[in-house]
Amino acid sequence: MKKILLITLLFSSTLFAKLNVATTYNYLAKITEAIGGDKVKVTCLANPKLDPHFVTPKPSLIGKLRREDLLIINGGQLEIGWLPPLLKSANNAKINVGQPGFLDVSGVIEMMDKPHIVSRAYGGVHPDGNPHFALDIYSVIPIAKLITLKLSIIDGANSATYRANLKVFEEKIEKLTQTLKTQMQSCPNRKVVQYHELFNYTIKSYNIESKGTIEPLPGITPSSKHTMKLINIMKTEGIKTILQDAYHEHKTAGFIADKTGAKVSIVPHDVGSIDGTDTLEDFYTMVAKRLCP
Amino acid sequence: MQKTLLSLVAITLLCSAETTEIEQLKTRVDTLEKALKTQKDQALDEKIKNAMGSIGSFTQTDSLPDIAFIANMSALGRNVDNEAYAGYQIPGFTTQPSKQPFNPKRGFNLNYGELEIQSTVDPYFDVTSALHIEKDGLHIGELYVMTRALPYGLRLKTGKFRSEFGRINSHHQHTWNFSNIPLVFESFFGAGGLADEGIQLHYTAPTDTFIQAGFEAMQGSNSRSFGDTDKNTLSIGYLKSSVDITDMTSLLAGASWLHGKSNEGDSDIYGGDLTLKHIFDSYSSLTWQSELLYRDKETTDINQKQAGLYSELTYAHDKNWATGVRYDTLFKNIDNQPDDLNRYTAMLEYRPFVFSKIRLQYTNDRSKWIGGERKDTHEIMLDLTIAAGAHGAHAF
Repeated sequence: MKKILLITLLFSSTLFAKLNVATTYNYLAKITEAIGGDKVKVTCLANPKLDPHFVTPKPSLIGKLRREDLLIINGGQLEIGWLPPLLKSANNAKINVGQPGFLDVSGVIEMMDKPHIVSRAYGGVHPDGNPHFALDIYSVIPIAKLITLKLSIIDGANSATYRANLKVFEEKIEKLTQTLKTQMQSCPNRKVVQYHELFNYTIKSYNIESKGTIEPLPGITPSSKHTMKLINIMKTEGIKTILQDAYHEHKTAGFIADKTGAKVSIVPHDVGSIDGTDTLEDFYTMVAKRLCP
Repeated sequence: MQKTLLSLVAITLLCSAETTEIEQLKTRVDTLEKALKTQKDQALDEKIKNAMGSIGSFTQTDSLPDIAFIANMSALGRNVDNEAYAGYQIPGFTTQPSKQPFNPKRGFNLNYGELEIQSTVDPYFDVTSALHIEKDGLHIGELYVMTRALPYGLRLKTGKFRSEFGRINSHHQHTWNFSNIPLVFESFFGAGGLADEGIQLHYTAPTDTFIQAGFEAMQGSNSRSFGDTDKNTLSIGYLKSSVDITDMTSLLAGASWLHGKSNEGDSDIYGGDLTLKHIFDSYSSLTWQSELLYRDKETTDINQKQAGLYSELTYAHDKNWATGVRYDTLFKNIDNQPDDLNRYTAMLEYRPFVFSKIRLQYTNDRSKWIGGERKDTHEIMLDLTIAAGAHGAHAF
């Protein structure tokens, strides 16, 4: 009996399973689920409520990576601070970088904010450009197409299903994109400040301009000197919106709001990062809503 | 008749109109083709011009390994003078004064610079090396080759590496929560821990519960517990497992066993470790980590049975601040030797950014014998660690 239990424990997830796919972030999990349907089993590694740069490399994640057939990452070095040691420890040759079971979706995105000079003197700069394209609804379809192609390559037998699912998904996202576009055109807010350069893709899509960040440099804790400078910018520019993420401290934003009369708006950074964002549709709808509070 | 004539005229007119249109189109196509050709020719000319200075074929800069530079230094105050401290002993554990790699002196200490070079060699191997640059030369801290394509969750590692025995041993000094190694590790393996030449087979199970197991065969050159290196004499086995109690709380436990030979006989060391980590948010966490080691060492007359443990509690307040306390004890010793060898450590850490940390550490050490008697040692230290360059992320 014990033996049977052990064998079941060991093989339950490998023998009879569908295609096992791990994604680093939740929005990738939702896209993969939409395309894969019942042919794939998707596991998301990062807790969407926490900072995507600093995911705790829990040993349980190693066990998860060990049995996957495919790993889908955001890329643009967003995972560099936590994923490489997990991947190394998992000993899963299938999903190593460069193997067919590895997919970096940043390849289909035209990266913004690519720095001309890369130096840590400027804080935690991502040398390939800003990796926070997940917040932009216009990133979804290119990524979905890429994932469809990858799933079709790995699991050719089900490629017709994946393509059919893509078609349905595309229509749904396109419809939502149009709705949100129309809705955002009437937004009077055209200038904002943000905590970290997390919202650049999505605000650009909606023709909103960011005039500064609460962080003096990417990844550096706010300083009083920089905060005062930002308050002055906001006063001269008449900026009334501070975009805040869910995971950084909210105190500095609150202080700035007090001094300037601006509103702090908490914008979700991933599916499930705040209440009411559990599906892709709800997430992008909430992003648009919170960009124009 | 008139009708026929009219339609004929109409057709002729239409045809001539069509012909002019076709001719116009033809001219346009010709112009476009010409333009396209000019463009192509120009592009080729440009290419030819550029190719004159082409030197790319033999540059391999894209394949450079990741290179990081780590440095550690300190300023230290201690109530024992340097010469006396250099000769300390831990009764029952060390008989000879041994080299202190970290913070030996009062005043300023430049402990090491470490050159970390890592790269994927080819589809089959990765290589990692940690070269210690110390004042008396270059030492190979680690240099190992690891497989990357073995099936069934297996991995082989060979070269010189830090053993996976226990929890803290495989971690480098710059990742420790306190600036010195736990007392029990220093007593059994020396202040540098257990790093040796050998081979390791490592397995990760494809289960929901994290399970890793491994076996290492090593030379056994560590003279604290072994030292018979005529052939490989050290065998190590380990098993690690972890569960997430909640989404924010993880428990990691490990059991390790080691069998080695010294000139006097066999040594067995058993280790157990337990880590409990709770994260409050992205930047704040509480970690409790403990390890217990038991040694059974054969000597010419009797079997020496000794044991020790450490237990540390660290709290990370935010991205910048962390604090912690550690209790070290050697609680089982050979006959006629003290079994209350204790050490107490507290630290406060400030990290301006992820690549640097400044640590203030206070230590009260009651485990050291200096000049034949116990010396209650007090030490206060300010320690700076930096990691520059392409430095990989740290494990759990």
